[in-house]
Amino acid sequence: MTAKTYFLPQSLGEALSLLAEHGPSLLVMAGGTLAMPLINKGISMPEKVLGLRRAGLDYIHPSNGSLQIGATATLSQVLQHERIPVLQQAAHNVGSWAVRNMGTAGGNLFAPPPAGDLTVALLALDARVKLASLRGERIVPLAEFYAGFLSTVLAPDELVVELEVPLPRGMTTVVKHGRLHTNTPTIVGVAVHVVKENGRVREARVALNGVGPHPIRARNAEAAILGSPLDTAAIAAAGDAAAQECEPFTDPVSSDWYRRKMTGVFVRRALTQVAQ
Amino acid sequence: MPSKIISFVLNGRETEVMVQPLMTLAKVLRDKLSFTATKAGCHEGSCGTCTVLVNGQPMLSCILPVEDVEGQDVTTLEGITPATGLHPIQEAFFENYATQCGFCTPGAIMIAKALLDKKPTVTREEIVDALSGNLCRCTGYDAIVAAVQDAVQRMAGR
Repeated sequence: MTAKTYFLPQSLGEALSLLAEHGPSLLVMAGGTLAMPLINKGISMPEKVLGLRRAGLDYIHPSNGSLQIGATATLSQVLQHERIPVLQQAAHNVGSWAVRNMGTAGGNLFAPPPAGDLTVALLALDARVKLASLRGERIVPLAEFYAGFLSTVLAPDELVVELEVPLPRGMTTVVKHGRLHTNTPTIVGVAVHVVKENGRVREARVALNGVGPHPIRARNAEAAILGSPLDTAAIAAAGDAAAQECEPFTDPVSSDWYRRKMTGVFVRRALTQVAQ
Repeated sequence: MPSKIISFVLNGRETEVMVQPLMTLAKVLRDKLSFTATKAGCHEGSCGTCTVLVNGQPMLSCILPVEDVEGQDVTTLEGITPATGLHPIQEAFFENYATQCGFCTPGAIMIAKALLDKKPTVTREEIVDALSGNLCRCTGYDAIVAAVQDAVQRMAGR
C-alpha cells in the first residue's frame, strides 16, 4: 500500500476543488471494485486517492420523462429502482450481490471490456452523461463519451456526476452471453431499444458490450432494421451486420472468433424478443 | 504515512482504530482488531470469502477502505455467533457438511445471513444467485445450497 492520502470529500463541491487542486495525480474511485484490486496487487500505486462514497452522488431521481442516476448510485440501487426494467436487468448482469452493493453506475462507464454490463443498456437508452468541474457543467451523450480503449472525453479536472436516462418509448431488452448463468464475464452483451410506428421500425438503437474497446453502438445493425417490419429477414440482416461491424478481442473468457459469431446470434435473439 | 483514527460500530460495539490511508476493512479487522473469522482470499473482490455486512448489506471487506465505513454498522461472522453454541445458519452448515475445506465458509455464511434477513423464505434460485460471488474451492456448492435451505427451516422453527 503506497497511498499517502485518501480524500473522502463530503460534497461534490469539495470533490471538484480537490480535483482542480491535484489534477491527474489523483486517482478517482467510487465503489472501489475496479481500483482497489489493482492497488491491493501493487499494479496501481497511487499516492493520492479521491473516494466519492460520501460526496452525495448516490441518488436516483425520477423526473419528467427521464431518470437521473447519481454517479455513485450503486448497481444494487439501480437494480431496486423499478422505473426502467431493462436497467434493472442490466444491473443484475454485473458481478455478484456484494459487488453490486459496492460498484456504482458511474464507475461502470470506466470498467474495461468485457465489463460494462450496465453501460451497454444505458447506451441503448441513449443516456446522457453530466460532467462537472469548477469551470461548470456540460452534458455529453454517452454515445460520444468514449475516445478509445480506456479513454474518454473527460477532462483532467472533470468528474462524471450524473447519468440522465430518457424513459424508453419503445421496446427494450438486454441479453448477455457468458459461460455461467450469473456473475460471469461477458462474451457478448446486447441491449436494444426499438420504436415501431404503423408496423415499421421508426427508431432503433442496438448496443454491444464485450466486442469492442468499450460498449459500442452497432450502427449498421440499426440501419438494417430501420423502416422494416422487424421480420425474420431484417433481424437476420441486423445480426450479420453487427457480427461484421463489431471489434471483438481474445481474452481468457473467449476467442475473438467466438465473440463475433455470438454477436450475430445474440443480436438476433434480442431483436426477436422485442419483435414479439 | 499519516495515520488517523476511525470509529465504526463492530458487531454492535463502538470501535476506534488507528489506520493508514486506504487500509482495507479486512486488514483492519484481522491485523488491528484480531477479528480473524473474516478471511482475505483473493484481495480483488472475486472470491467472496471476505464478505461482511455493512448496515446489513454484504460488501467485500478486502476491497473496502475502512475510512468508507466510518460511523457505519459492520457485522462479521463473530457478530452472529452466540456466546454459547452456534447460529442456526452455522448449525445448518455444520450438519449438512457444507464447510468442507472452510475457505468460503465465513463469506458464505454472511451472505446467507444477509439473504435470510431480507427474505425469510427463499427459493433455490435466489440462494444460488445470492451465493454466486462466493467461490467454493472444493466445488461443493450443493451442500452449501442445501445448508441454506436447511437454515430457512431452522430459523422458522425458532
